Amino acid sequence: MTVRTINRFGTLVLVVFTLTAPWVLPVFVDAFWVDIYSEILIWSLLAASVNLLFGYVGLLSFGQALYFGMGMYGVAIGIAKLGFGFWGGFGFGVVLATAMAAVAGVLAVRLTWHYFAIITVVFSLIFYFLALSWKPLTGGDDGLPFSMPPLISVGDFELTLTDPDVQYFFIVLMVGACYAIMGRIISSPLGRAFVTVRENDLRASLIGLNVYMIRLSAFIVSGFIAGVAGALFALFGRYASANFMFYHVSGEAVVWAIIGGVGTLFGPIVGTSLLIVLREELSHVWAHYPILVGIVVILTVIFAPKGIGGIWAALVHRFAGANTGKGGDA
Amino acid sequence: MTVPLLEIDDVTKQFGGLRAVSNANFTLETGKLHAIIGPNGAGKTTLFNLITGTLPTTSGHIRFLGDDITDEPVHKISQRGLARTLQIKSVFGGLTVRENLWIAARSRFGVFAPFMSWRSCQKSNERADAVCEELGLMAHADQLAANLSYGDVALLEIGLALATQPKLLLLDEPICGMGPAETEKTVAKIQDLAKRIDIIIIEHDIEVVFNIADEITVMANGGVLAKGTPDEIAKDPDVRTAYLGDDDDDA
Repeated sequence: MTVRTINRFGTLVLVVFTLTAPWVLPVFVDAFWVDIYSEILIWSLLAASVNLLFGYVGLLSFGQALYFGMGMYGVAIGIAKLGFGFWGGFGFGVVLATAMAAVAGVLAVRLTWHYFAIITVVFSLIFYFLALSWKPLTGGDDGLPFSMPPLISVGDFELTLTDPDVQYFFIVLMVGACYAIMGRIISSPLGRAFVTVRENDLRASLIGLNVYMIRLSAFIVSGFIAGVAGALFALFGRYASANFMFYHVSGEAVVWAIIGGVGTLFGPIVGTSLLIVLREELSHVWAHYPILVGIVVILTVIFAPKGIGGIWAALVHRFAGANTGKGGDA
Repeated sequence: MTVPLLEIDDVTKQFGGLRAVSNANFTLETGKLHAIIGPNGAGKTTLFNLITGTLPTTSGHIRFLGDDITDEPVHKISQRGLARTLQIKSVFGGLTVRENLWIAARSRFGVFAPFMSWRSCQKSNERADAVCEELGLMAHADQLAANLSYGDVALLEIGLALATQPKLLLLDEPICGMGPAETEKTVAKIQDLAKRIDIIIIEHDIEVVFNIADEITVMANGGVLAKGTPDEIAKDPDVRTAYLGDDDDDA
C-alpha cells in the first residue's frame, strides 16, 4: 500500500462517516451528536482558515473570529434588517467577510510574525467593540436573532433548515465545497507559491514571486473560508452575536489547528473534533477541563509540532515503507 | 552602440553613520564574466543588495539593459531577468529539490492560477527537470532540500536562479566554504554558464577570480578603486595598497 492509497482510504472513511452520520450516530451514541458533528464541521472551517494562513503561508492570525463574525452578522442583518432571503443573506455574509479580509489584509500582510499576529488581534477587537456598542444594528450583548427563510420554495414544495436533515446536509455540502476549494488551491501553482513564501520569503521574492500579493490572496481566501463558517453558524443558531468575534474564539481556532496539524488539509477537522468532543464530555464533569487542553497544546507544540496530522503522516509513511519515500501533504 | 548590461551611476548607500557604498560608478558590458573583488566591508554585497532591490538606495541610479531599475520591488527586478544567489545559502528547505526548481521556473508564467493542478504545468516541469539535470542534481530530485549536503545546496542555490531563465546572474561568493573538489566542480559550472548568460561574481578566492574573470572591478571603502582585465588589475598599485596595506614597511 502506498501513502496515497492510505490517505485516500482515510479521506473515504471521513466522507462516508460524514454522509451517514445522521443515521449512524443516533444508533451508537445519541441523536444530539448529529448537531455536535454539524458544529464541529462548521468550526473546523474556522480552524482551516487559520491553517491556510499559518500552515501554508506562515502567517499566524489571532483574528480569524472577525471574519467569522462578519459572516454571522452578514446573514443576520441581511435576513432580519434588509429583508434578504436565504441565499441573499448567506451570500451577503460571505461577501462581507471576504471584503473585510481584503481591507484588513492590505494592511496586515505588510507585517509578519508577532506584528502580524498583533495587528490581526487589533482589527478583530475594534470590530468586536463596534458590534457590541452598535445596538440598533447588531443587537449588542443580546445578539441579533432572525427567523429562518426557506432554502428553496417552489409552489408547495419547500426546503428549510428547520428540517434537521436538510440543515445537516446543507452544512455538509457547504463545508465540503470549502475543503474542495482549499484542496484545489493548495495543489495549484498558487498553493506552491504559498509554501514557498512560508519557507523563505526573501528567496521567494528573489525568484520573482510577488510575496505581498501571494500573502494577500491567502489572507482573503482564509477570510472567505472563515466567513462561510460564520454564515453557516448563524444559520445553524438562527442568530448572530458579538461574542463570536472576541479573540478567545480566534485563539481557540489556533489551538484546534495546531493540535490537528498545521499544513495538512484535514488536520483542522481532526483537531476541532477532538477538542469539541472533549469539551462536550468533560465540561460538565470538570469545570476546569481547559487546564487539560492547555497541557495537551503545550505537549503538542513541543513533541509533535505538526500535530495529529503530522503523527498520522509519520505513521502512514512507516506503514507504507520508507522505499516509497515521497514527501507530500495528507 | 550597444546598450550596457549594467550601469551603476553614482550609487550611494548610507547606513546611519556608515557609508557602505559611496558614489560608486561603473558600467559593465554584456558578453563577459565580471568579477567584483575587494577587502571585507568594501560594499560588494551591499551593492548586490541595491542592484536586486533587497535594500533601497540612498542616492544614485542603477540601470539594467538601459532601464532604470533603482528601488524597483525585488520580484519585478527578478522578472526583468536579473537573478542572484545569496552568500548565506538559502533554499526552500521544506520542499524537494524538484519542487524548489519548479516554483522558480513557474515564476516566469505567473503563480496566480488557483484552480489548475501544479503537477500539470508542462513548461515548468520541463524547465525544472532541465536545470536539475544540468546541475547534476537528478539523483537528489525527490529529496528535501533541507537534507542536501552543503555543496548540493550551493548548486541548488544556483539552480533556483537559473530556473528563472535570467539574462544576468549575480553570484555572491558561490564557492565560499567549499572543499577543493566541490570548488573545482562549481567553478567549471560557472565558466560553462558564462558562455550563455552574463555573470557577475563576488568572490574572495583571488586565484579563482583571476582564472575565470574577463573583467575585474575592485571595490574599497564603498567606492570603485579600479576596473580592468585580470592582468591590468594585478599590476595596479592602488589595488596592491588596498589589499596589502600601505607601503610603510616595504623597502
